[in-house]
Amino acid sequence: MRKDLVFGMAGSGGDGIVSAGDSLLQAAAAEGYHGVMTKSFGSQIRGGESSCRVRISTTPVLNPGGNLDVAVALNWDDFLKFGAELPVSGTTVVIYEAATNIPEDQIPLVGVTPLQVIAVPIAAMAKETAGTERAKNTVVLGLIAGWFGIGAVAVMKGIRKKLAKKGDELVEANQRAFDAGRAFAMAHPLKASMNIVASETKGNVKLITDGNDMSAAAAIFAGCQFFGGYPITPSTEVMQFFTDQVWKYGGSVLQAEDEIAGIGAAVGASFAGKKSMTATSGPGLSLKCEMMGLASIAELPLVIIDVQRGGPSTGLPTKTEQSDLFAAAFSAHGDVIRPVLAPTSVADTFRIVIEAFNIAEYYQTPVIVLSDQEIASRKETLDPIDTSQFKIIDRLRPTAAELQGYTRFKQTENHISPISHPGMLGGTYLASGIEHVESGAPTNSGSVHQRMNDKRTKKFDPLKDRKDLFEITGNPNAPLAMVAWGSVAGVCREALAMAQAEGMNVKLMVPYLLYPVAEGAYNEFFASVQKGLIIDQTHLAQTFKLLRMHIDLPKGVHPLSRSGANPFLPGDIVAALHHLLSELQRSHEGELQPQE
Amino acid sequence: MSATGTCEFQPKDYKSDLKPIWCPGCGDFSVVQGIYRALAAVGRPPHEIAFVSGIGCSSRIPGYTTAYGFNSVHGRALPIAQGIKLANPDLLVLAAGGDGDGFSIGGGHIAHLIRRNMDITYIVMDNQIYGLTKGQLSPTSQKGRITCTSRYGSMEEPVNPLLYVLAYGAGFVAQASPTDLAGMAATIEEAIRYPGFAFVNVQSPCVTYGEEAQQIKGLKAISESLTAMGHNPADRLAAMDLAQQYGEKMHLGVFYRNPEPPPTYGDLVKERQTMLSKDALPKERILDLFIKK
Amino acid sequence: MAIQGIDFANLSLKDALDLAILVEDEAQERYEEFATQMDQHRTPDAAKFFRYMVENEAKHGRELLARRIQRFGDAPRSVTRAMIFDIEAPDYDAARAFMSPRKAMKAALASEVKAYDFFVAALPALKDTEVRALFEELRDEELEHQKLVNVELAKLPPDSGLSDEDFVDEPAAQ
Ligand SMILES: Cc1ncc(C[n+]2csc(CCOP(=O)(O)OP(=O)(O)O)c2C)c(N)n1
Ligand code: SF4
Ligand SMILES: [Mg+2]
Repeated sequence: MRKDLVFGMAGSGGDGIVSAGDSLLQAAAAEGYHGVMTKSFGSQIRGGESSCRVRISTTPVLNPGGNLDVAVALNWDDFLKFGAELPVSGTTVVIYEAATNIPEDQIPLVGVTPLQVIAVPIAAMAKETAGTERAKNTVVLGLIAGWFGIGAVAVMKGIRKKLAKKGDELVEANQRAFDAGRAFAMAHPLKASMNIVASETKGNVKLITDGNDMSAAAAIFAGCQFFGGYPITPSTEVMQFFTDQVWKYGGSVLQAEDEIAGIGAAVGASFAGKKSMTATSGPGLSLKCEMMGLASIAELPLVIIDVQRGGPSTGLPTKTEQSDLFAAAFSAHGDVIRPVLAPTSVADTFRIVIEAFNIAEYYQTPVIVLSDQEIASRKETLDPIDTSQFKIIDRLRPTAAELQGYTRFKQTENHISPISHPGMLGGTYLASGIEHVESGAPTNSGSVHQRMNDKRTKKFDPLKDRKDLFEITGNPNAPLAMVAWGSVAGVCREALAMAQAEGMNVKLMVPYLLYPVAEGAYNEFFASVQKGLIIDQTHLAQTFKLLRMHIDLPKGVHPLSRSGANPFLPGDIVAALHHLLSELQRSHEGELQPQE
Repeated sequence: MSATGTCEFQPKDYKSDLKPIWCPGCGDFSVVQGIYRALAAVGRPPHEIAFVSGIGCSSRIPGYTTAYGFNSVHGRALPIAQGIKLANPDLLVLAAGGDGDGFSIGGGHIAHLIRRNMDITYIVMDNQIYGLTKGQLSPTSQKGRITCTSRYGSMEEPVNPLLYVLAYGAGFVAQASPTDLAGMAATIEEAIRYPGFAFVNVQSPCVTYGEEAQQIKGLKAISESLTAMGHNPADRLAAMDLAQQYGEKMHLGVFYRNPEPPPTYGDLVKERQTMLSKDALPKERILDLFIKK
Repeated sequence: MAIQGIDFANLSLKDALDLAILVEDEAQERYEEFATQMDQHRTPDAAKFFRYMVENEAKHGRELLARRIQRFGDAPRSVTRAMIFDIEAPDYDAARAFMSPRKAMKAALASEVKAYDFFVAALPALKDTEVRALFEELRDEELEHQKLVNVELAKLPPDSGLSDEDFVDEPAAQ
């Protein structure tokens, strides 16, 4: 019996393998399991290679998993195009389409001998039972139900619901295809049973959503009243959610003519006193920089979600990467700090986006949320979130007394000045991108520039002390350490558990606040560290370099970085930790015996 | 040149080996055919052609030709094309892209290339939708149109691409569609031959996200040939009148062709260079410019 | 469907043969393109049928070419591909991702009808008797092709009545 299964399925868009993944995840959630699903596509709009990874577990899932337990190839060419995204190992059961005419001992996977390889006449079964080969995906779901014990009832329940409007004919065809798959599995049991144990939480309500929808819902919850943006993969769904929902809350959304106009409108809405935001991806972030500079100097709250994809430029529009870190931290010219936050999962996207609005409002600043393609597009099952635990912060508005002779950029102890907005009697002022004195009047004085730069940067000091924006797990005094953020953090959490299970003395820091770099938090974390890894999905080891810029990292701390679309598996990270550990041991030995 | 052939270049000489990513049935397949044919008719060798695009399904088009291609960034085909033309006026410079690329994010550039009368041919594949990003509202989408970013219907009037460029004073404005491939090839050819900024709006259906009325069948039903109507392409006001019907009628052919094309920006540059070249200091003495007399 | 720069009244037999060859060429290329599109969009049955059409058109093209060489050797050609537009080639619009073999065959049938119409429409203008005979032959040939496709159509099992769109994945954004 298994407690956790990772499925990787590939075919073409015409095979409907991604919608099969969706059905599987939904069925698993209905049966009380936790799960996460990621999708990956080739570069065609329709019918190109497509794949999904579905991980199902009896305990909450931290990431899409490592090597596959179950690989499903409807066609080998398509499967192989995903390379490291669908890794097969000696513990994988490989199920593939018999019509590919490849013998079971000759499947085109080099360097691995899977646990078991089964050719299944999937297309033939679909044709025979449903009357069309296109029902292959439903046959696959039947096979999964039969072999792994997931969704025997729930899958068809879900499909029935989904297709109800399309007529009985279609539903029955699917039912026959599903039953055929299941019967095949029953008739051909696996060498070693891989049934998943029943979930203890069966019957509990589970939410299923992805990072984009989650961030939009969080924004609306936080009080966001305006979204201005421009479509760009993989962030467009944030705007789509707004176009569905925001009107109901009295807000509005504008699909602008480009990114500059989108963020421009959001800056305007913020000036007008409303919480506002935009969302984009790399190329759009580049365009928004000038407006971000404006919002910084005009001290206007604003949230920018950047769903990272492979860059630079158009790069890899559908694959995840973390390479916008520098671009986010240093997004516009001038001496300025713009906070950068990063969620690590769909679940904590809710909290991080609310946090982003709170920080934006409190500090009167643009805040960038660095999401990434994986978190944004992956679907997760979630336990219901108690929304009453979240505090919502609004910008500091001037009191009636302060509106007598109002000074917009008044110097205060915490460098934060009450902010008025058009419509407020007595609060009129000039917002501007030019340097200004406290009243808002333009200046070109060096001393004022110095003073206002001080105000605009020092106001962030308390932010760096926010311990709750850093998660530290493992032994706090461990000599071995990891730092990881965003979707990579989930992989590292699992790697930590694996390493600890092997007896390694190791710890992990997951920063939710990436910028400004909180020197104190890192110095404290690294105090016990002799060897460590700064892990990210960038080619230039951007996280390592950003930290080095601010902190004297211990000598034994190295980057572990790779370009996007080359996912880290928990096992990769554990292997790197082993390497560090042996170095550590060698250096201790070296202390005793002089080296040759 | 083939043994039995009569002209220097055949359409296939402009076709590359890259396989289009487009959905089968996409109007852009016909557009690229039209371009092969127009280029063959003009007869410039592929290596003397620079073909620039932005980002979008349609913007993949340069890669499917044997010309020097530049699949640049969203909305910026024209600025790049303009730089190419200025750097080497002898090149045949083509720019192409989608309705979003051209009239939304890149909309601001068009006016300025027209003002400068850059000798560039600009082909917009107008499908009234954002194809590549999965079907959002485009600047040419009809008011009321339901898409994934206008779930309850769009609240804005569409841009009229024809009127837009006519109003800015473009010297050559035409419309084509896959419903008439021969006409499209001829129109694009004429646009390329026009000395100055030439604009061709191609109604190119998106079979995946497009509306029923904007598919080939629907377009055929509203198509009308400008030549057959007896429209005089030298009459700019008549052209503007007809262009008003964008969205209701699909007029095919040349709306406007300036009968007396003014000098292009390139011509003026050349003139200025010739005029001033006699004043040039030898390069090695360029710093003599700073000697105070 | 269109043709440009050809004076049917004075069409010579050599030019008529060349024209016919080019029409087959164009159709063959288009079917090849369609087959590639279907490969790329993992629509193998339609791809297979389009390849079958490639073969048909190629065969017909070869026969015509043999006749041309027999009569006129390699005398220079004066009609070109640039003069013809989708005479027997199916319109680009006829292809769809995940199209069923039935739909693929219907697309081919429509283009054979289109070609038939072309030859019929051209006939009245022709003066040369040999050319007329050739066009009549070609016209009848197109009828044969239609029959061929109809035979293939008849071989198909009845439609399941289900739409492929109900099974396939949503398009993917880029
Ligand atoms: C700066 C920037 N913003 C947004 C995008 C995302 N994007 C790519 S193509 C496109 C629009 C496509 O529509 P259109 O130009 O009409 O071309 P089509 O795909 O319809 O041919 C968008 C919004 C991008 N690539 N770069
Ligand atoms: S999505 Fe539309 S525009 Fe893009 S390739 Fe497909 S049919 Fe063409
Ligand atoms: Mg478009």
